[in-house]
Amino acid sequence: MSEMWINMGPQHPMTHGLWNLRVKIDGEMILDVDPEMGYLHRGIEKISEDRHYNEVITLMDRCCYVAGLAWEHLYIIASEEALHLEAPERALYLRVLCEEFQRLASHLMWYAAFVQDIGLMSPFLYGMRDRDLILDLLQSYTGARMTYEYMRVGGVRSDLPPGFTDRTRKVLDWLNARFVEYDQLCLGSDIFHKRCDGLGILKANDCVAHGVTGPMLRSAGVPRDLRRDRPYAVYDQLEFDIAHADTADVTGRYLVRMEEMRQSLRILRQVVDWLDRHPGPVMADQLPRWLGAPYAPVGNEGYLLKRHYPKGLGFSAVEEPHGEAQAYVVNEGGEHPYRVKFRSPVFANISAARQYLIGYRVADIPPIMGSVDVCVGEVDR
Amino acid sequence: MTTPAPLLVSKPAEPLALGVDLPMVDQPAVPFIEIETLRAKEFIPAAKEALGSLIAEQGQAKVIRPVFNWAGRNSLFPLHWGLACCAIEFAAAFGARWDAERFGVVPRSSPRQCDVMIVNGTVTWKVAHKLITLYEQMPEPKWVIAMGNCATGGGPFRTAYSVVPGVDKLVPVDVYIAGCPPRPEAMLDGILELEKLIRERKE
Amino acid sequence: MQPDDVSRVLAPALGPKLLAVEPFAGMAGRVRFERGAALELFPRVRDDLGFRHLSMVGGIDWVDHREVFYVVWSDAAHQYLLLSTDVPADNPRVETASGVWPSANWHERETWELVGIEFDNHPDLRHLLTPDGYEFRPLLRSFKLHEPEELEVKTRHV
Repeated sequence: MSEMWINMGPQHPMTHGLWNLRVKIDGEMILDVDPEMGYLHRGIEKISEDRHYNEVITLMDRCCYVAGLAWEHLYIIASEEALHLEAPERALYLRVLCEEFQRLASHLMWYAAFVQDIGLMSPFLYGMRDRDLILDLLQSYTGARMTYEYMRVGGVRSDLPPGFTDRTRKVLDWLNARFVEYDQLCLGSDIFHKRCDGLGILKANDCVAHGVTGPMLRSAGVPRDLRRDRPYAVYDQLEFDIAHADTADVTGRYLVRMEEMRQSLRILRQVVDWLDRHPGPVMADQLPRWLGAPYAPVGNEGYLLKRHYPKGLGFSAVEEPHGEAQAYVVNEGGEHPYRVKFRSPVFANISAARQYLIGYRVADIPPIMGSVDVCVGEVDR
Repeated sequence: MTTPAPLLVSKPAEPLALGVDLPMVDQPAVPFIEIETLRAKEFIPAAKEALGSLIAEQGQAKVIRPVFNWAGRNSLFPLHWGLACCAIEFAAAFGARWDAERFGVVPRSSPRQCDVMIVNGTVTWKVAHKLITLYEQMPEPKWVIAMGNCATGGGPFRTAYSVVPGVDKLVPVDVYIAGCPPRPEAMLDGILELEKLIRERKE
Repeated sequence: MQPDDVSRVLAPALGPKLLAVEPFAGMAGRVRFERGAALELFPRVRDDLGFRHLSMVGGIDWVDHREVFYVVWSDAAHQYLLLSTDVPADNPRVETASGVWPSANWHERETWELVGIEFDNHPDLRHLLTPDGYEFRPLLRSFKLHEPEELEVKTRHV
């Protein structure tokens, strides 16, 4: 018998983060896998119980560090529901703007890392360069490149700077032209097809049984997208298509993500047009003082504890770049959330690793796991 | 045809590292060698001849050390791993805009090929012994950069039950970079700070 | 789908073990059930109501008792449904859902190690996020966060 278990991780170029894939191999064949998570478990759900509602936003950015704004959006919707608050319409459009920018940035980061995994080197530089253009736009109105803390319970922190929408349109046009080149680089390369076609197949039924969502599910021919199926914010007023493929393999996931980026450009054009035409407030009136202030004084027990806020449960689900994220916020009337529970899409996608890795070869692991788009921050939380 | 400018092994008052213009600290006078004009086979005898008398006079460590430091600080190979958020900025620094490789910084995937470990993210107790193992696998001389607030002191997760409040509880840290996460410029600045430390290294 | 539709399907089979189906904002409802009814309830929710996708399992510590909740999704109705049951704090034990929805496997491992809820007949109940042998249940209310210096005692042993 030449079967043995090997560790790929926690420090391995394939992992893109801290996790360990234990693989049982016989020669080159994968017989069994066992992902080992938790190397980045920071206890975000526990720390949240010790923070004010607005202070949890800080943790959300770091929870999923390639899609911070999408996670802020997720948490904000749930806590607004738990606190019975509503944000003005312009704030909702600004949140959609954030989320779509974040989807572009996340997918470009995925493109840079994934294509490098299968042996093409220059797309990494292209992906990072174009991601920096998006981050420049985000930085111009949030002030940060990655950890934004932009959304607030009841609205968003600030409005757009002058000239922002014109700059955005220029970047969108530029990206639209670049995506053609991206496809030529990958789909026109024999290496790409030899390393990706027909690998990591996960059919629709298995996806549903194992809770797999996002581009992995859509590449299996299920056009399920919460932005369309269960619209939140203002997605029901925007026109876009759901990208899906039917190959259920690595190439299918590549195609889905590329098409999603094009659809994001389409959404962003509509959003910036709307924002140009409709000025207005970005923060709800009538907020409790401790919530409306951007930085509530933490030690001021005197007025923090004298509130009797109605109890409530908040649930939200957001189509994050990796898939379907959910938040469940329990408000027991205090200034801290009583319990916050998050559902990470990558958590479920990795938990199905047995289904799409067994039977392939060791050299197929980097492209397959690359196509899953692992972000360990949100898996371990 | 113009002759190429000679590459110096060591010459006082001339900066050797690209972009770092610190005055040389305690450098012995080393004879000038035109490497470009020598073949590789001839280089070592020529260097021996030029340095030999000096080494006999001042001791080997004092003469070889600046050359060794010069070579080391211009080819820092960090360990290629990503712990958390800072790893994304770490990757961005190797992208087209910042291009960290112009400082000779090339991430390597094996700790045995590395001389600097950039701790780019939150360190948890679960990964702590793996981090120490990786550090011990790196050959001497080796350095550690704590990148970002989490690696420096726990950052926003300082009170969490699973987080090491600062990687200096586990391994000795040479350079701390503030920021949550630090921008790629800040990371490059940290690497240049480390180059200063290496330049002044004696033993 | 409304809470009434849910209870119309579930009530005949479960009888008094189905405590209530409450309305819940943005969802088809919140199903409260006795923990002994888990194995009868889950297949019915999946097959009769069409909630084929289990999204998450979590636990809440209410000090005097603990709550386990399940979020499921129906592709036909485009809706979520929340299932919730109470377990006593001194015997926090419930039947696993991983036989019905395989995706419950990891979520239950996480709930077990963080909230301390035992899942009977779970195929693989081991530590997922915390290190092997970690004996604390961090998401219980009795587990307090401290400054790191005091905390090292609690975490360092692994």
